[in-house]
Amino acid sequence: MVGIIIVAILAIGASIGVVTARQPVHSALYLVGNILSLALLYLMLKAEFLAAAQVIVYAGAIMVLFLFVVTLLTAGKEERELPEDLPGQRIVAGVLSGLVGVVFAVLAIKYPGPVIKAPLPSHFGNLTGMGRLLWGPDFVYLTAIAIMLVSAALGVMVLNPPRKRRQIEAGDSEQQKSQTSPETAKKEREGTG
Amino acid sequence: MTLLLVVILVVKIILLISILMGGFAYTTLLERRLLGFMQLRLGPNRVGRWGLLQPLADGLKMAMKEDLMPAGADKFVFRMAPVFSLFAALSVDAVVPFGAPIHLFGTTISLDIANPSIGLLIAFAFSSLGIYGIVLGGWASQNKYSLLGGIRASAQMISYELAMGLSILGVLMLAHTANLEGIVLAQKQHGWFFIPEIIPFLIYYTTAMAETNRTPFDLPEAESELVAGYHTEYSGFRFAMFYIAEYINMIAVSGLAVTLFFGGWLGPAFLPPIVWFLLKVGVSMFVFIWVRATFPRFRYDKLMSFGWKFLVPVAFVYFLGTAAFVSGVL
Repeated sequence: MVGIIIVAILAIGASIGVVTARQPVHSALYLVGNILSLALLYLMLKAEFLAAAQVIVYAGAIMVLFLFVVTLLTAGKEERELPEDLPGQRIVAGVLSGLVGVVFAVLAIKYPGPVIKAPLPSHFGNLTGMGRLLWGPDFVYLTAIAIMLVSAALGVMVLNPPRKRRQIEAGDSEQQKSQTSPETAKKEREGTG
Repeated sequence: MTLLLVVILVVKIILLISILMGGFAYTTLLERRLLGFMQLRLGPNRVGRWGLLQPLADGLKMAMKEDLMPAGADKFVFRMAPVFSLFAALSVDAVVPFGAPIHLFGTTISLDIANPSIGLLIAFAFSSLGIYGIVLGGWASQNKYSLLGGIRASAQMISYELAMGLSILGVLMLAHTANLEGIVLAQKQHGWFFIPEIIPFLIYYTTAMAETNRTPFDLPEAESELVAGYHTEYSGFRFAMFYIAEYINMIAVSGLAVTLFFGGWLGPAFLPPIVWFLLKVGVSMFVFIWVRATFPRFRYDKLMSFGWKFLVPVAFVYFLGTAAFVSGVL
């Protein structure tokens, strides 16, 4: 219990850091800290696989992509304070989120969840257990999510076609050939020009 | 009884870190000597017999150097980046079993720090964190070359991690477990996994080279274009930490390769298991150095298309084939 409270404080502290940090890279780092403390929480709740997946997928892949973009965009930029569109929005947002937190705390204390006394099912939280769930009763959801992710990836490909196809489409619509010689066009396509 | 367990654990951790540090020190010497021989020169042989005290001299030099910090650097991140790199590199080794469990003081001691049921995933989780040190080191230096190195590192390591993950899935399915000790014991029954899984092994080894930023995949620190890439601005002991992390990562991926594909500590009985394990890791380190002496660096776009258009599809097809074989469809 003490461990869970410590990790929970870490997670909340990190998430406050995400929104208050001035530097985007610092925000990203706080988010990594938040993800790692969530993984620790999962580990304490005996969900080993979820903890490992959290670190590998979110901290190891998604946040690295975030950092890739953020470091590329903020390199060498001076910190500059832009005038706010809505004056006082930060204070209002802080007060509101504090209020929501208090409401949640009151509700949680007033209506505590049922205490489950039964022992954990066998293979709870490890690879075997997750596999049995995902390929058993939850197979429909797994397939649905897989289809959704693949169509999202395909959507990105359609919205952002490679240069070759973009050129062909532009040439078709404007009914004019590019002025460059075929060799230069080929080099441009391959990016070796 | 619990006190004894705690003492054993602490001793194991200290032993592991000293073995890794010693391994790092003498790998650098081995690398310089071997590179020397492969390039028809001698390499460092002045300090001590055969240059055996060279790592000590190098370490002293590193520790005595001035610690520089660029004026525009982000101080906290700049200081933390090498620490993170080294931490991640060291943690991967915690789940690798170095030998068969031994019996001492009336208890059974397994030769790894931790033996979780998802040991393989834990090792991957830690190794995927190692990239932060490089990216943040490159960013915090506020230097164009460092930044380019860091950005290259993030793109390269994400791309190759995918193929690496796919390449080990076959082993996981053949062994029916993600526990590293279980994988070694499964190889005792079914034979070493590199025989059925030779293509995934080659993919794993290639991606491991890319993950540790070794030549021919050392684009994050390509000295002919980026000065020294992400660690251009680092000096003294902070640079040494990046350097140590690279070599310990090499040891870690070699240890994982040996555990997954070459039977871990298994071997004929005339040598103790731990010696077999260290020997196999040594061979793998030799191949790392050999490859460095042999191949030129990849061009960046070739590196990316090699990763995405060759390694990932091949690993995926072989993974599907293994799945069909294990489930009995084939």
